[in-house]
Amino acid sequence: MKNFGISIREVENIRVLDISGELDAHTASQLENSLKALIDQNEICIIVNCKGLDYIASAGLGVFMAYIEDVRGMGGDIKLTNMNERVYNVFDLLGFPTLYDIHDDESEALTGFNK
Amino acid sequence: MSSSANLDERHSRFELRTLLETSRLLIESQDPDFVLNNLLLITMGKLLVTKGMILIFKPGENVYYASRAKGRGWLKENDEVSVDFSLEDLDTSVLHGEKYASIFEQIGIERESILFNLKTTNHHIGFLCLGPKGTKQELTEREIEFIESLTIISSVAIANSRMFKEMRHINRRLDRKVHDLNTLLELSKDFNLMVDREEIARVFKFAMLGQMLIRTFFFALEVDDEKSIVSISGIKEEPTKEDLDALFDLEDVTHISEDSDCEFLNENNIRLVIGLKFQNEKIGVVGVGLRGNKQEYGPEEVNFLQSLGNLALLTIQKSLLLDERLQKQRMEEELNLAKNIQIGLLPDPLPEIDRFDLAAINISSRQVGGDYFDFIETPEKNHLLAIADVTGKGVPASLLMANLQSMLHALAPIDVTMSEATGSINDIIYNNTPSDKFITFFWGIISDNGTKFKYVNAGHDPPILFRKGSDEPLLLEAGGVILGAMPTMLPYESAEIDLKPGDLIVFFTDGVTEAMSPDQTEEYETERLKDCIRKNRDKPSQEIQDAIIADINAFSNNIQYDDITIIVLKVDE
Repeated sequence: MKNFGISIREVENIRVLDISGELDAHTASQLENSLKALIDQNEICIIVNCKGLDYIASAGLGVFMAYIEDVRGMGGDIKLTNMNERVYNVFDLLGFPTLYDIHDDESEALTGFNK
Repeated sequence: MSSSANLDERHSRFELRTLLETSRLLIESQDPDFVLNNLLLITMGKLLVTKGMILIFKPGENVYYASRAKGRGWLKENDEVSVDFSLEDLDTSVLHGEKYASIFEQIGIERESILFNLKTTNHHIGFLCLGPKGTKQELTEREIEFIESLTIISSVAIANSRMFKEMRHINRRLDRKVHDLNTLLELSKDFNLMVDREEIARVFKFAMLGQMLIRTFFFALEVDDEKSIVSISGIKEEPTKEDLDALFDLEDVTHISEDSDCEFLNENNIRLVIGLKFQNEKIGVVGVGLRGNKQEYGPEEVNFLQSLGNLALLTIQKSLLLDERLQKQRMEEELNLAKNIQIGLLPDPLPEIDRFDLAAINISSRQVGGDYFDFIETPEKNHLLAIADVTGKGVPASLLMANLQSMLHALAPIDVTMSEATGSINDIIYNNTPSDKFITFFWGIISDNGTKFKYVNAGHDPPILFRKGSDEPLLLEAGGVILGAMPTMLPYESAEIDLKPGDLIVFFTDGVTEAMSPDQTEEYETERLKDCIRKNRDKPSQEIQDAIIADINAFSNNIQYDDITIIVLKVDE
């Protein structure tokens, strides 16, 4: 099995997904399931902390695309934080920074939600 | 004098230092705004002029715009102005004096102003415009020279930074291309490991969403003439059957305008629909919605979509073929099982019957067949012999054959006449099988210590009886119609013959007489069979049987179309 991990924390009523390893075609569905489960429970303020993420493929990015509008439509957001340079570069190449709230650090994203 | 020389020297030193510092600053800077700002401020400060601006040429529109402007009454920053410069003007480094009065007027600056051309060897960038000095004094030769030098350095710096910007742009596009290729490569590897069609379609969807920065997506496939959606995202309502037909009818690459005729495309803001082909047949359609960056779908995106779409399509196609193969394999395994069961229904080994030499063979043209033969010992120690042929071949025939077998085994111990039993079997088969299924059936009982043979022939090829010493065979024909064709109205006839030492009976199915010559124009027929038996009649049963098989194979060149069954029964001498 590919090395990909996902765990959920709660910080100040906000759900933080810590993802690590490689997010690609094989592991994208794990992220999808976690996001779907949160949305189903009406947990729509979500931070995805990419600190441990080593690699992301287009299929991984696609998962974010699939749910961002639903979440925003319900009044929430998915904010992304703590990407390493390589991972950020992929987000950047595909034009994600114009659509997503991307922060260097989780605390900035938390502040963003609490405004 | 000395003080003036001293001042002069200090001036030069200051100018040189300014030039040096500026050039270092400018060369290190990749920011044209900084370079221009710096140029304007240094020159205004140096010459003590209160008005100054930088005009930058916009090649596409043939106008100039003020990228930097200081001083009242002149163009404001970002104002545009169109000026008629001659080619000669554009090649001149410094423009000032009455000669250029009309140009200054067009730009809207004082006649005493001066323009410094910002240019490199190949490119005209624009002009540095400076107003008259506060003192109204003319610029000295030396001042002009100094500013010209600064202008040259700045022009080079701007050209460099523009080049740098362009390189960065190209690099980024290259990075994007590399990423696109990587995505294709990686997915082709990933797809290779996948056989689950849902997973393939889902991964394709997510890759598309991420790659194109979209949310709306659908992927429809046509499998076995049935069009259906295999993955979808952000679509309000799934397309109807008519929508799908319309989608498959679109051109291979269709850009959709906002007021398309198709309601499904309009409703969901689909911007591009691509048809995917397999062996020249359109079997897939992919649609993508508005992009998050609001950009249009260009040739590169179309190309990528087609590549990735074809990849997904091929993978799905491959998995379908794999399924088909597995199914075939499973079917073959089941047929093999059925064949083993069927073989188990035939007597093996053949029973020993006192005073008789016996041989029998059944060769199926397929895994399972419709031919049947059997030997059953009755409670009276008599021997029942049967041979039958079910119409058709394969599984349906074999099922009916098994049915007949069980009936015979159930009937054998019961004391009924052969005629009655045949009638009952016929009724059962008639009632329980489709009207196009028949059985030709022959059975007989050897009794009285092997001296009598009583039989019923229900439409079967008549067995051939050679009496000892006679070359003309007799045919065992007594009986009635084939089984299963109609209810029993007239009882089946039965006949009884005496068996004498040296008598020979050959029972067979139509696979023998209807064996075809290789050119398919001629059948083996009963005459050839009779000849073959006649020639070999003095041999043991097994050898007679082998001779018949060899003769048929020689005739048909070993090509067998139908099941073949032969029983050879010879009364010991």
